[in-house]
Amino acid sequence: MNAIGPVEPGEDTYDHESIPAPPVRRLSPRRARRLRTALTAATAAGIAAAGVTLYLTRPEPPPEPLPPWPSQSVSVAYAGEMSRPRAGERNLTFAVIFRQGSAPPTTVRRIAQPSAALSVTASPPTPFAVKTGKPRKLIITMHIRECGEVPRNAGLPFLEVTLRNARANEKHSYILGPEYANDLSGALTAACPRTRVS
Amino acid sequence: MRQRSLIAITAALTAGALTLTACGSRDDSKDKDDAGGGGTTVVIGVDAPLTGDLSALGLGIRNSVDLAVKQANKKKYVDGITFKMESADDQGQPSSGQTNATKFVANKDILGAVGPLNSSVGESMQKVFDDAKLVQVSPANTNPAMTQGPDWNGGKKTRPYKAYFRTATTDAIQGPFAAQYLYNKAKKKKVFVIDDKKTYGAGLAATFKDEFTKLGGKVAGTEHVNPDTKDFGAVATKIRNSDADVVYYGGEYPAAGPLSKQMKKAGAKIPLVGGDGIYSADYIKLSGKDGKGDYATSVGQPVEQLPSAKEFIANYKEAGYKEAYEAYGGYSYDSAWAIIEAVKKVVEDNDGKLPSDARAKIVDAMQDVSFDGVTGKVSFDEYGDATNKQLTVYQVKDTADPAKGWKPVESGTFTG
Repeated sequence: MNAIGPVEPGEDTYDHESIPAPPVRRLSPRRARRLRTALTAATAAGIAAAGVTLYLTRPEPPPEPLPPWPSQSVSVAYAGEMSRPRAGERNLTFAVIFRQGSAPPTTVRRIAQPSAALSVTASPPTPFAVKTGKPRKLIITMHIRECGEVPRNAGLPFLEVTLRNARANEKHSYILGPEYANDLSGALTAACPRTRVS
Repeated sequence: MRQRSLIAITAALTAGALTLTACGSRDDSKDKDDAGGGGTTVVIGVDAPLTGDLSALGLGIRNSVDLAVKQANKKKYVDGITFKMESADDQGQPSSGQTNATKFVANKDILGAVGPLNSSVGESMQKVFDDAKLVQVSPANTNPAMTQGPDWNGGKKTRPYKAYFRTATTDAIQGPFAAQYLYNKAKKKKVFVIDDKKTYGAGLAATFKDEFTKLGGKVAGTEHVNPDTKDFGAVATKIRNSDADVVYYGGEYPAAGPLSKQMKKAGAKIPLVGGDGIYSADYIKLSGKDGKGDYATSVGQPVEQLPSAKEFIANYKEAGYKEAYEAYGGYSYDSAWAIIEAVKKVVEDNDGKLPSDARAKIVDAMQDVSFDGVTGKVSFDEYGDATNKQLTVYQVKDTADPAKGWKPVESGTFTG
């Protein structure tokens, strides 16, 4: 049994005199303030970054719905008042009313008609806006360019209107109906009779 | 102070971020309940060409009605009522249409019918339905006489059948609109007019020719063809030998497609123009590359341009139908929905139950139906015609993908 067991520590095995702790390095008030500021700023930056990340990755709110295509919200109706030009006169006038349905305002940019023998001006002149609940009455003046070519008895004449809203710029034909067709035919025939005055 | 400020900013940022996140949250819950509205079953019949040459258009009609029925049940739109659809194939034949109409009338659960595609078929069904006071709403019949009587053009307009309604614009507008476009815009002055002798084709060709000549255009020739034959060699030669700068065809795409191809092969390099009967992807399949530059008018505006059609397009896609909704899908959905609205009105006016004379009451209610449909505001005038009268000129711009070949070039609204 020559094994040597662990030596039990006895009294004074350790020096009771404690090793002096290294002197505490107290930061200067200025440095301490800087450190606190830096830590706070870093924390704030971290939270802010997390917030921004959350914000950027949030579920997208549904996009603002686009207004309908302009022709879906604007209506044009013939309002009569067709003039009766004398033979040889080159202008005739009539009234139309523009109405805007329940949608943001639409700008009427141009009013035309399809026949090369005629041209059109409007009063008030284009462009103008039409708004919901505020119908606009226009006096259309049709100018006869070529009497021999005018569509004297077209069954379905129409106005070509260029409209613009936040969604689109759109050219649309408004077929103003049989009353307009009859009145226009009468006025064109009066201005350009078959036995033409020119 | 400075530290407190930083802490305050940090807290504010955190709270802000959380608030913004919360604001952006959405309720993604979906109502998956598509059960019907209750114990009583109301059947909506659909008649259309489900087989044969015109089936592309017919299947689009059937699927769209099916979708309307499913949507009504899903929404429990009419309390106590579950809608069902029953379809019948008329193959584009008036006799089949009339047989189907008789079958629909005999089924007491059928309280309304959608269809048909062809005016000639529609004519054979009108009296059968009217006698039984069973409401019929066509998404596609365009012959004016069906609602305004035989003397509609210049004579006295009289409504022949009280039970007949339609959501489609008529040829009284379609033909002249095409004439105006071709004469004034496309600068075509001499037309060769062909029709298939059927109610729709002959009527449409007549309204076109009338307006085209009133505008100053000339008719270089006229022909009638049998739509069941696909050999148009003789008429193609006549077109080539005329001095026409455009061909107008009153009829449907199964004949119009081959006619376009054959007349161009014969040397007549001028566009063929038709009505809604040729506005189909199948026209481009049949005419091939030679169809490029041809025109068609069709009822309404391009469905894709209608804000009201977004939901329909999405639901149609989600429903997974094999066939496209084609030219009349939106109008078919609206036709079915008009019946659903009329049923709703009749049921609500009768303490939530169907009255014993439901069919007659539905016909009356249909006259006052008004709702925002796929194609815009849906309501009917004193003749049973749609009050919403829009139409569009399309041109074949590309033949590589027939489904995307037709492009709108001009749209119009009848406001008279």
